[in-house]
Amino acid sequence: MILVLQQVINGVMLGAVYVTVALAFNLTIGILNFLNFTIPPLFMLTAMVAWASAQYGLPFGLSSPLNWAAALGDGIAVAIAASLVVERMTFRYMKARYGDATEHAIPLVSSLGFLLIIENLVRMAYGTEPHRFTTPFTNMNLRFGGLIVSIPQLFSLVLALAIVFGLSRLLKYTRIGRALRSIAENPDASLLMGVDVGRIVPVVFVLSGLLCGVAGAIFAINYGQVYAGMGNEVGNKAIAGMVLGGLGSIWGAIVGGVIVGVVETLSIHLFGGDTVQAIVWGLLLVALIVRPQGIFGHHAIGKGKL
Amino acid sequence: MDAAVVLALRNVTKAFSGLKVVTDVSFDVREGQRTALIGPNGAGKTTVFNLISGAYSADRGAILLQGTDIAAKRPGERTVMGLARSFQNIRLMPHLSVVENVMVGQHARTRGMMDLLTPLWLKRNRAWRDEAESQLRAFGLGTYPNEVTANLPYGIRKKIEVVRALMSHPKVLLLDEPAAGLNTRETGDLKDFLMGVAEHGVTLLIVEHDMSLVRSLCEHTIVLNFGLKIYDGPTASVQEDPAVLEAYLGPRHNAA
Repeated sequence: MILVLQQVINGVMLGAVYVTVALAFNLTIGILNFLNFTIPPLFMLTAMVAWASAQYGLPFGLSSPLNWAAALGDGIAVAIAASLVVERMTFRYMKARYGDATEHAIPLVSSLGFLLIIENLVRMAYGTEPHRFTTPFTNMNLRFGGLIVSIPQLFSLVLALAIVFGLSRLLKYTRIGRALRSIAENPDASLLMGVDVGRIVPVVFVLSGLLCGVAGAIFAINYGQVYAGMGNEVGNKAIAGMVLGGLGSIWGAIVGGVIVGVVETLSIHLFGGDTVQAIVWGLLLVALIVRPQGIFGHHAIGKGKL
Repeated sequence: MDAAVVLALRNVTKAFSGLKVVTDVSFDVREGQRTALIGPNGAGKTTVFNLISGAYSADRGAILLQGTDIAAKRPGERTVMGLARSFQNIRLMPHLSVVENVMVGQHARTRGMMDLLTPLWLKRNRAWRDEAESQLRAFGLGTYPNEVTANLPYGIRKKIEVVRALMSHPKVLLLDEPAAGLNTRETGDLKDFLMGVAEHGVTLLIVEHDMSLVRSLCEHTIVLNFGLKIYDGPTASVQEDPAVLEAYLGPRHNAA
């Protein structure tokens, strides 16, 4: 029993990574109706850049190796910058050139291209093998009865909660948040009302870059190792969590991400590691038959979008 | 003697794949006036509206807002310059609250990132919300500011859409069939409401099929038929005009 509880705790921590990545997906799909495939590589890029900065320092000999916190900050900054480049090169460029408000296949395909390019550039630069990323509290634990909660896990959870909370406040209580929600519901009317859509769309990419960055940081702190393939693995599960929870809903991403995390650790514990993909995706398919819109399904997804 | 011209169309033409929908249309809308744009189905009224608001761009001609040609401006820029519109089908954000919908209309007056990122509880942003709420109250819609608009009756949503359009502080407000789908009582109510809007100094240009609303609300009427302007004068004498009668009732030998 205690072992199962321990797996649930580990699953929630793993879920925190999925939640954060799922939110990044959710933001671009909910507001722009754009399934942005560059999110997994941005997540991976954060962690790899953080590792490289901690190992070698900034490029071109600009600094000596950075400490862990500065290295993670560096990784997050790179993810945000890369996200803005993606906006320029996929979403905005393709949109401006091929116009039509309902044409999403082109940005989607070009974002797939970015996925492969970023991932393979990282492979070329740093190889495919895992690299260690250590923090001062890497091996510290708290014990509650027989349960172990590691300090990195706790730290990650707090970081994930803080970013989710901050995002929900931003969406609810700032003018830009309202503008984002109004674009999500009716982009044409928002434009005609004078909402500065051209300036607000990049904000979506900054936020999703930030979420990818935080997720990458959480992963690096929590598991102490980073590798070029980590984006794929986490990205798939995050999409599963997002769909399970309901597209376009913050709560959906949270609940869906945690469920996927817990199901994953429990199925490893109970049935072995090979069963994870089959169980997670099988569960998703069953859930979708019962409730196609997801747990907190959103109304407007897939209708006329920007 | 006449009030200044605030909105003018000069030889505006628009064709869709070769078919001329609006041909050489010119008219003036005078400041403070309530002008109706009417015509049989397919006359090009809504197209004229879309040309003015910028949803379509004109093939030829000029659209002058307070003397400036806006024909090449983007829709959002036109809103910032003093043009607002409502839609034939309601285009509120269904899952935003009433007051949030109205606040979306304020974005035309927002400039810069700092404005956008300031949290709402700060005093400067509180002022935006207060303005939206007091506008709603001024037009008798103050009872449910936090209700989601999807839950409200059609007639009320129509009015909210107009209040939202007013938040950009427009010089000219374009209303596309405001009475469509309303019953007689709601239409009378809407007429009083729009009179109140006009008294705030907003010039109204209205596309409308309901002639009782046009007669009671608008002093000036423009009639389109097959994309051509066939009448431009006082509403009182529109129904005596032979060209208008022919457009609505068919040529004399058919009507007889």
